[in-house]
Amino acid sequence: MRHIAEGVVGIVLAVVLHTILGKVFAPLLIVFNAFSWVVLYFGLSRHEVFGAFMGTACGLLQDSFSMGVFGVGGLAKTLLGFGAGYISRKINVTPVTRTYIFVLALAAVELFLWKFLELFLFGERFSAAGGLILLQPPITALVVTVAFQVRRRMEARRS
Amino acid sequence: MKEKKRFLLLLGLVFLHLLLISIQVPRGNEPTYFERAVFTLFGPVEHGVVSFFRGLKNFWGNYVYLRDVQRQNQSLRDEAFRLRQENMTLKNLLLKFQGSKEIQELLSTVSRSILVASVVGIDPGQIHRSIRLNKGTGDGLRKDMVVLDRRGYLVGRVVEPVSARESRVQLISDEDSGVGVLTERFRVVGILQGDAEGKCRLKYVVKTNREVQVDEEVLTSGLDGIYPSGVPIGRIVSIAEDAELFKEIVVEPYFDLSDLDQVAVLIVDLRDLS
Repeated sequence: MRHIAEGVVGIVLAVVLHTILGKVFAPLLIVFNAFSWVVLYFGLSRHEVFGAFMGTACGLLQDSFSMGVFGVGGLAKTLLGFGAGYISRKINVTPVTRTYIFVLALAAVELFLWKFLELFLFGERFSAAGGLILLQPPITALVVTVAFQVRRRMEARRS
Repeated sequence: MKEKKRFLLLLGLVFLHLLLISIQVPRGNEPTYFERAVFTLFGPVEHGVVSFFRGLKNFWGNYVYLRDVQRQNQSLRDEAFRLRQENMTLKNLLLKFQGSKEIQELLSTVSRSILVASVVGIDPGQIHRSIRLNKGTGDGLRKDMVVLDRRGYLVGRVVEPVSARESRVQLISDEDSGVGVLTERFRVVGILQGDAEGKCRLKYVVKTNREVQVDEEVLTSGLDGIYPSGVPIGRIVSIAEDAELFKEIVVEPYFDLSDLDQVAVLIVDLRDLS
């Protein structure tokens, strides 16, 4: 029950952050994808099943806020959440550098998958926003790595 | 949970998404009931966040940071005075062409035709595609209503889904948008389409046309049956003739996405007034 509550708080925080960023300066939304942060964070800390459900919730929510095809973001984020949880259980990604590289790779794959589906399957035009979109995976990796490491250290202190 | 079950669960979720995607295909761009439900459910969260920060901003602006307020006040008084004079002159001019009763009716309809709405969100998939407003069907909004920025420049039109308290607006910079337009000086007609990067393309102007020029203003033509004629959209920034049949004309819209805090929705079809 606690995990679900945490997940709901995470989703609400992502919506809040998304709204604030859009209000402050719209192009920030291209670089900062709060929905991906939440999915990756929960995928890493609560593993694949929870990650996949978080991916579905966040992705569909993101799709409902967008005029794109409903379900494309959801599909990409479900695979992202599941992948993050499943692979992190198989290999040790707890050291900071490994966490960063692992999340960077996943964020890049998710972005590619999302844009690939929109571009090739639904014929939507790819907007790189002057290359800004390329900053999304490294920024996502940085935020998720910091959040994951903070959580890990807090848990270590507690136990 | 066993690994096999986990993968079955993933397959189930993937299937759910594919189902959601596939049921949209025959429906075109019309949103599914599920999409409408999610849109309606999370709309209030965005509303709450925007209201909270607007409250903070108002508190700061109204009670704490009062620098330059006197100067702004004077500038607004000057502008109000100028607009009142302009309004009076236009009313007098109108009287020359129509009876005063008809004009009073027309003016009262015009003043009721605008609904001010706040922008509560921007498309997370592509920022130049759509925005969300804090007004919906409960406030009288309907599909295809025209949206202008605070200076009266064209922003886009209301599209589905429209919930009771929230609506979505397709921006003119969206690549799927199409606006019937004409150029200000020589009235060259074309269709304006977004390029997904914040600019628009003026399409179907033949290469042999020599009348379109850089820096010329582009206005709505009213021929598309959605937008009223004469609404300013933007300015031509470049013209290329690389294509075989038509010119490649780039138009920079006047509206600024980062300055789009409030918009005006035309809830009465202005074409009915003329």
